Amino acid sequence: MLTAALVVSDGLGRGFDRAAGAADLPDAIVRFDPEPAGQVAARIAALPDLAAFSLRREFTGVELDAPGHTSENAAVEIIGPGRRGYAIVAGRDLSGRPGEVLVERGLAAAWGMPLGGRIELDGSSPQRVVGFTESPDNVSYPLAGPRVYVAQVGVSVPPGVNLAEIWLRDPHRLDEVLVQARATSYGVHGLRFVTRAGVRVLLDQAAGIVIDLLVALSLIALLTAAVMLAASARAEVQRRLQAIGLRRAVGASRSYLTATQGLEALIVAAPAATIGLIAGTLATYGPTSRLLMMLNEPAPGAALALPLAAAWMAAVAIPVTSAAWPAWRAAGRAPVALLRGAELAAARSRRRASPIRAGLTVLGARLAGARRARLVATATALGSSTGFVLLMLALASALVSLETDPGALGKRYQLTAQLPPAAVGQVRAIPGVQAAAPRYADEAVDSFSLQETIDVIAYPGDHTEFEAPPLLGGSRIARPDEAEVGAGLADALGLVPGSTLAIQLASGGELRLRVAGVVGSLDHDGRVAYVPARALLARDPSASEQLVVRVRPGADLTRVTAALGATAAPAAGATARGVPLVDTLRAILRAVAIVDGLVCLYALIQTCALTVQERRRTLSVIRAVGAGTPAITRLLAGAALALVAPAAAIGIALERWLLGPALARLAAGYATLSLGAGAGAIAAVLAGLVVAATVAVLWVARRAGRESVVSGLAAP
Amino acid sequence: MSGLTRRESLIAGAAVLAAGCGATRSARTGSTLEATWRDPHGTGVLQRAAGEPLIARTELGAPARARRHLATIAHLTDAHVLDASSPARVPFLDRLGDPFQSTFRPQEALTGQVLAGAVRVIRALRPDAVIQGGDLIDNDQANELSLALTVLRGGTAGWGRPYFGVQLAANPDPFYYRPDLDAPRHPGLLREATRRFTSPGLGAPVHPALGDHDILLAGEIVPTAQTRALAVGEEAVWELPPGLTLPPGIAAGLSPDGPPSPRLIDNFLAQALAGPKVRVPADPARRQMNAAEVVARLSGSGPTLDYFVDVGASLRLVVLDLARRAGGSGGLVRPEQPTWLAGALRAAGERWVIVASHQPLPGAEGGEALLGILDRDPRVIAALSGHTHRNEIVPRAGYWLITTASLIDHPQQARMLRVLETAGGGVALETWMLDHTGALAAISRQLAYLDAQGGRPRGFAGTRLDRNVTLYRRAP
Repeated sequence: MLTAALVVSDGLGRGFDRAAGAADLPDAIVRFDPEPAGQVAARIAALPDLAAFSLRREFTGVELDAPGHTSENAAVEIIGPGRRGYAIVAGRDLSGRPGEVLVERGLAAAWGMPLGGRIELDGSSPQRVVGFTESPDNVSYPLAGPRVYVAQVGVSVPPGVNLAEIWLRDPHRLDEVLVQARATSYGVHGLRFVTRAGVRVLLDQAAGIVIDLLVALSLIALLTAAVMLAASARAEVQRRLQAIGLRRAVGASRSYLTATQGLEALIVAAPAATIGLIAGTLATYGPTSRLLMMLNEPAPGAALALPLAAAWMAAVAIPVTSAAWPAWRAAGRAPVALLRGAELAAARSRRRASPIRAGLTVLGARLAGARRARLVATATALGSSTGFVLLMLALASALVSLETDPGALGKRYQLTAQLPPAAVGQVRAIPGVQAAAPRYADEAVDSFSLQETIDVIAYPGDHTEFEAPPLLGGSRIARPDEAEVGAGLADALGLVPGSTLAIQLASGGELRLRVAGVVGSLDHDGRVAYVPARALLARDPSASEQLVVRVRPGADLTRVTAALGATAAPAAGATARGVPLVDTLRAILRAVAIVDGLVCLYALIQTCALTVQERRRTLSVIRAVGAGTPAITRLLAGAALALVAPAAAIGIALERWLLGPALARLAAGYATLSLGAGAGAIAAVLAGLVVAATVAVLWVARRAGRESVVSGLAAP
Repeated sequence: MSGLTRRESLIAGAAVLAAGCGATRSARTGSTLEATWRDPHGTGVLQRAAGEPLIARTELGAPARARRHLATIAHLTDAHVLDASSPARVPFLDRLGDPFQSTFRPQEALTGQVLAGAVRVIRALRPDAVIQGGDLIDNDQANELSLALTVLRGGTAGWGRPYFGVQLAANPDPFYYRPDLDAPRHPGLLREATRRFTSPGLGAPVHPALGDHDILLAGEIVPTAQTRALAVGEEAVWELPPGLTLPPGIAAGLSPDGPPSPRLIDNFLAQALAGPKVRVPADPARRQMNAAEVVARLSGSGPTLDYFVDVGASLRLVVLDLARRAGGSGGLVRPEQPTWLAGALRAAGERWVIVASHQPLPGAEGGEALLGILDRDPRVIAALSGHTHRNEIVPRAGYWLITTASLIDHPQQARMLRVLETAGGGVALETWMLDHTGALAAISRQLAYLDAQGGRPRGFAGTRLDRNVTLYRRAP
């Protein structure tokens, strides 16, 4: 569990930094409408703190053909001199000779493209693939369109450049540089700055909130794993209390006993940790690497060695310490008390056990309950695992919901259409359409922190008719100079109702509005602003527009879609628009869940085995009076039930009131994200527990049945 | 110091003290021979660094031992003291780039403090004379000249009202640097910029030259009834008027040296005033002056500013007035000036001569005639000028053509000149740059350095050979 959590959290949490470092990602990427290269170079060269820059021409919507595959939406970057901003992960860089092309690793993997293979761009003569690249300035194919790089030589393109990559000497001074760049950018149209921080946000957006969720999940897994390891080790010492008492009685020192106990734990923990390390890595490394490839980020590789070594040491140290410490405490008590079968915890007055009135099942439960401390520890560990599995089921459900259900984002429209605002009347007249309105969107940055990107959304009227993210504070927009901001944006910029929101739009114009309210939105990590359309269009008339359509309940969505025409599309979710990403994420969740399930099974088997071990005489007596394996099974079922029942209660409570809210808060503090497990998930987990308990009981009962009654009766 | 622990504060204080002790002398004198401001890592941050020693330049004569000190002169030029709240300004043109980059500067609210910082360091060096090289003010306003003269002569100066211009935080125009909001942030800077401040005065005779900005709006335009009303009125234009068309030639990036057509200016003003306007507090002190008034206030005489004066017994300073009265920023030699100059040189006798003008003689209309006269005179050491905002020293015939940087654009430096007679009858001119002092002036220096349209990318600091050098000139 520890390893799985580590692989996932390290791989995803530090993937961007690794990729940015390897690719020499620029500190700022600037896109604009084509301009003469000399003029752009002169303006950039005048910026302070400049280390280097390179200029490119980027074409989008290019037809890309490779054997067996084709795409109409490729991006082609014409590379000039200067720094690259991508890493070559296989093959070599462009040599400057014509006919060479670099393709993204994600595209090469998805299309099975070999080095030396051929591709065609817009029907031109075939280009030879000389290398694979990785650059985290965007997600990779298939989450985004394919991207290739070709050299300037031998390519016939219109004059001008439309992309500049800028590297700074001191990236901490980026804001100062952007202020200067902004001041000298007049007359450059379609200007968009993306900074490293902005790229990170874009990647996070592309992968949706799922990466945050998984990283948060991993942190919780680390804690849970630590608790379980400690509880298991403590239970083992509890089992050996009598042996410890015996050794103390014959003169063994407290330190010796503690060291012995620690050493025994070490002998078990070291190979177990090694096996766990290998199993956890194997289970999660593959899916994590696949996910990272889609994000244009490298797999952790050797960088994971150190964290894994630390994890191995932690996995060994926790049980050793957990074994040594209770042993130290136990060895400090009177040998007589230990030999009498004392609990590790201080002795308390016990209620006299009532006579057995029920059958073997109840007896089994009472036998398990006789070791209260161990029962509590094991039930806590099992409960944690149960809660964890529930959490993953809730997470999977949330993923599906975020991907496929716009309503999860507060969107109340089901369809979009690339139609002009003037078509609203016609669209409203389509049977089945309840409401329609133009929706304007713009990419912006905060005017004063130019690294903070903002999605600006505008409607001509009441936006809550189409998008109603829950209001967390303040009020809805009531005046033309007001805005609602997402909680993510409010957190990043310190905005509260009454603050002034100043955003610089893609047009270069600045929009200032009073913050009326803060809303919980999962879109763009909550970095959104809802503004009145009139205010947005006054500053940026070229803001992108589409029509959004609400369909009447019960109306035929397919028929409405057909009536809207070819540009109609279902409203999108918050996570990446790709099945592959969600599938990969599910694979990771599945791997983690399997590891977790194995932990549950282990806890149950251990409980049953301990019960059998400690009650050998009791069991032998029962068998001696004619009871067979079914009777032992019933007895062990009672013991398992004594563990499973409280564990299930603990697990459900833990997930509902602790893990779920904690994970939701960690992953998306900017919005209300429900991660409470539903009834179906709870039923499924309970069924899983019953199955695991059954397997454990049957396996241990079978082993117990093999022991001779005589040797059992002779046991101490 | 918020966010620092007491220990960190003490350590930081000790570090500042230690640095201050080392830099005390250079900070007081501002001499770049001892220390100067550099960007050692190319990150856009100026830091105190080692000074630049004098380098010998021998194009006009071999090095020789100095025998006698003749005079020490300070050359301070292009201070461009400006009223940043004035409605007569056209800052919206700045975004159009060359040649309008001087219509708005991020540091423009601090010009008075920068001049005061330069005055402090020059005063500390006790020169025999100070050449005020022109463009003392930026926009021909009476209040600008009052403040600048107070700073030069000593006294308490200030604008007497809060800042109300394009750099206010409330102005939602991202093309202007707003110090309360934009990086590098200096909250409260505009408030500090308009507080009254004191200047010790130069403490030496000041010999002014007349610059285009001293008598023309933006250094280009002769005041008209319309511009005079605009200056003292309460309507300002901050935003680039939609659909503004520029006079032909200007839009092509050519510097309008000659007088712009009044019709074009009227047309431009009409377009600008038809755009969105901002209401600002009116101030009658913003009165625009005519050239004669400016000359009279600078020198007590007039109507032109051609004159000569002796600095000590062996050096004559000849000042030429090349400012165009009819508009346009370039230098213009009036028909009578060659004869007057020849006479002034003749009258100098055996004295060495330094000639000063605002515009450099080589680029001025008719400048070749004056240069020809200087070329023929064996006692001319140097021709000093400003206007280009650039440090530059080039040899010509038997003298040096020297231009000094401005106090408004990077590197915001003045120049010291020490004239020495050398063994064998020649002369050596030791010249070095001066950095100004003061906290607000330091902010101005840093902002000027960052400015992507300012003196840094345009190389106004010049090379080492344009700054701290000993210029040798052989005997006549």
